[in-house]
Amino acid sequence: MARVYQVPAHAFRWLALGVVLAVLPHLVSAPLWLQAAAVVLVVWRLLIQRGRLRMPGILLRTAMLFALSGATLWSYGTVLGPAAGVALLVAAFCLKLLEMFRLRDAYVVVVLSYFVLATVFLLYRNALVTIYVLVVLCIITAALIGINHPEAGVRSRTHLRVAGGLMLQATPLMLVLFVLVPRIEPLWNLPSDKREARTGMSDSMSPGEISRLAQSDELAFRVEFDGEPPPMRERYWRGLTYSWFNGRRWSQATPQNINSGELVYRPGDRPPDWYERLRNDRQGEQYRYRVLLEPTQQPWMYALTVPFVDDRRHMVARDFRLLATSEIRDLYTYRVTSWTEMTLDQPLPAWERRLNLSLPSEGNPQARAMAERWREEAGTDTNFANRMLMHFRNQPFYYTLEPPLLGDQRVDDFLFNTRRGFCEHYAQTMAFMLRAAGIPARIVAGYQGGEVNTLGSHLLIRQSDAHVWVEAWLDQRGWVQMDPTAAVAPERIEMGLREALEQQGETDAFGALDGFTNSALMQQLGLFTDYYEFLWQKWVVGYEQEQQGQLLSGLFGEITPVRLAIIMGVAAGSVLMLMFLLMLWGNRKPPLHWWQQEYWSMRKLLVRAGVDDNIQHGPRGMLAGVRAQSPAAAGAFEQWCQMYETLVYARPDLLAEGGGRRKRMRQLRRQVARSLRR
Amino acid sequence: MKDVLARAAAQISNVVLGKPDQVRLSIACLLANGHLLIEDLPGMGKTTLAHALARTFSLDFNRVQFTSDMLPADIIGVSIFDPDTRKFTLREGPVFCQLLLADEINRATPKTQGALLEAMEERQVTLDGATRALPEPFFVVATQNPVTQAGTFPLPESQLDRFLMRISLGYPAADVERQLLAGEDRRQASLALPPVIELPALQKLMALVTRVRASNDLVDYVQRILACSRDSGLFVAGLSPRAGLGLLRAARAWALLGSRDYVIPEDVQTVLGPVVEHRLSPVSGGATGTATQQLLEAVPVVRGS
Repeated sequence: MARVYQVPAHAFRWLALGVVLAVLPHLVSAPLWLQAAAVVLVVWRLLIQRGRLRMPGILLRTAMLFALSGATLWSYGTVLGPAAGVALLVAAFCLKLLEMFRLRDAYVVVVLSYFVLATVFLLYRNALVTIYVLVVLCIITAALIGINHPEAGVRSRTHLRVAGGLMLQATPLMLVLFVLVPRIEPLWNLPSDKREARTGMSDSMSPGEISRLAQSDELAFRVEFDGEPPPMRERYWRGLTYSWFNGRRWSQATPQNINSGELVYRPGDRPPDWYERLRNDRQGEQYRYRVLLEPTQQPWMYALTVPFVDDRRHMVARDFRLLATSEIRDLYTYRVTSWTEMTLDQPLPAWERRLNLSLPSEGNPQARAMAERWREEAGTDTNFANRMLMHFRNQPFYYTLEPPLLGDQRVDDFLFNTRRGFCEHYAQTMAFMLRAAGIPARIVAGYQGGEVNTLGSHLLIRQSDAHVWVEAWLDQRGWVQMDPTAAVAPERIEMGLREALEQQGETDAFGALDGFTNSALMQQLGLFTDYYEFLWQKWVVGYEQEQQGQLLSGLFGEITPVRLAIIMGVAAGSVLMLMFLLMLWGNRKPPLHWWQQEYWSMRKLLVRAGVDDNIQHGPRGMLAGVRAQSPAAAGAFEQWCQMYETLVYARPDLLAEGGGRRKRMRQLRRQVARSLRR
Repeated sequence: MKDVLARAAAQISNVVLGKPDQVRLSIACLLANGHLLIEDLPGMGKTTLAHALARTFSLDFNRVQFTSDMLPADIIGVSIFDPDTRKFTLREGPVFCQLLLADEINRATPKTQGALLEAMEERQVTLDGATRALPEPFFVVATQNPVTQAGTFPLPESQLDRFLMRISLGYPAADVERQLLAGEDRRQASLALPPVIELPALQKLMALVTRVRASNDLVDYVQRILACSRDSGLFVAGLSPRAGLGLLRAARAWALLGSRDYVIPEDVQTVLGPVVEHRLSPVSGGATGTATQQLLEAVPVVRGS
């Protein structure tokens, strides 16, 4: 360890900056010990560079490695998985800084910087971060250039310029590769982070869950309609159905002993009867749109009822849900056509009827009694449902995010006692009552509404738009959507949660930031950033297998691997060729003047006639050869020589005047040519 | 005016027999205000040429025979204490003249060579802190034995660069030599030459040289020769910009000798050898032929596409 490689000062500046910037995004959400360790190690390395400190010995370094690995294990419980793995990587990377003994180590640090930088995309994937990554990429490249620079006195700014130039040159090729390289499904998936809790729907609805969700401003998904979007009150984004109630929570039900073809249909498979019928029943208004779904770690997808898809990545369920074939870990884009005015009067199989009528054997006696009494008075199922909705509307029920706690008999307590609740309370009470009255019913969970970004005319659906409603099976009408919340607080459906709560005099829920985020400027800014984020997601992140296939087959017809390889080769080749030609063009020589062309024409003439082929001969030098070999041509040639010498060497100012001299010289040359031929 | 130059050339050629090109080149070198290095074996007429030049152009002439024990003061001069006036008076050295013949310059030590070469470049001499300008014109003709001879200090390349031209005379042709043997003593004859061009006329001619036209195409040719000497890989180091300026100046003087007020490529080609050969060292194992030949064959007279 006698000699330590000194990174040249002009390169070290970029290397240090690149390392810090590559690590920074990871540190933002990292545990405190990692932040502290990174700062200490980087500062340590800076002090070594300044000669204030020495490189630590092997024992100390080993100890630090074990300490940091231990800390990772302690705070993540594992060293596998993206979050823990990246933390370990960042820690080890910072340690490597204290190990730059040789030039080789500096290269390792540079390559690791690139890698650590790339892992930023595991955490963030938006447009701003991409710009950041590109800038840091440029800085790290500048460090790499600096390390390889032989001179000591060079200015570090030069490296950055060279790096920028390299990146600009690489851009066209990058675009070609982006558009053309086949998107292959990953061979393995990163283990998902169970610890990393995502806000969103879950497969059961326990008390208070939706109201908690409603307080999150996080984006759930964006929707881009081919035409006009449906009005606000019709935007019910169906995600899940809860058919099973155990007295306390509603949850998804997977019926046992039922053929899976009875439950789901995957495009491309042979359609089961229920799907065949559903397809034949299509009528009325239809909407075509593309959904850009944020990762949920769950397989369900959101769409307007009734969705139809023709992509084998998705499945349509019998209860009109859309499902992905695997969990959604990345931004997920899909196209849907929804028919919103269909009558869903399919025959209800016995198992489905049974499932949607099931209730716990006891509990909520008051509610059950009222349901039975009302059913008798109503006469029909429809009348019963309407009476239920009227009851919510006319009695003093309140819509609130902060309902009082309910007792064991949840439905009784809510119906007759508290009467203050959020959509989940109304929906589950309604579903309970319907089932108690012998009407098949289930709860549908999803989102309702959505804000229109006027810049891009796409819809933004946030977690705060989370909503649950009810579907009931009525004779002759099939499944009918009912929203008890709309009966209690029509503003929620017409204008959104925020307005609804304000109307109810409840504004605390959104906290003190409201005044700030509500200002017109901030709203405009929010729309703006959202719009560019949307474009980014739509065109770059959302550019997946499907979009690529559509684009390529639209341009080149059917895509076979051979054809794709040829297209890629041709595209990359032509980009490189174009850049090569640009370089040539930049280095091109100025065009010849007419008198220079005249000289070379005459020269060619004499060389061809075998009179003179000495490259160092000017006109005078050639004259001797012409006189000796072809006296006939000598006269004209001598005149030509004189003109040339006069114009080019003695009186170049005459060249500008022109005046038939060019013509005259050409005539003389032809004369010489004729005499030479003879 | 121009036939004066022809008469001067003829007169010198009467003394330096059979070497018309070298005579004209040395006159061109003088007109171009450059210093001349004559490299040859002893007894080839180097000193005779220098004498004849001085007489013909009526220049104040000094001659220094360089030896290995010579000191800079022997050339530049020295301050001497005069007991009568009790003051230092400067005794000027032989360098204070218009044409200095530095005979066998490579016999002196580098220190002495350096003193002379500095005077050549600056055209002034600093003695005891006082700077004294040398006469105008100031023209050095140095002679040099080929370095293979014993007891010589070869001039380093940087100092060779100070000489505008290097020529060598070589053995005379047979008939010229017979004429030489039959005739009178050439050295005596050279001392008896009448002046052809007086100082004002010479200065006028020298001013005229700077006004000889070098057109864009010609300058381009010169530049391409310089670039080729640097980029072709034929030489260890390319020609300096000073060499390029010298080449163009020499070509102008040569054009004036040819009674033209503009330079043509042939002028450049003629002076190219004397001007660049001593500044270029070919890469060993490179192409055959002199540096001049290699350059001329590589660079077309007119720019091609």
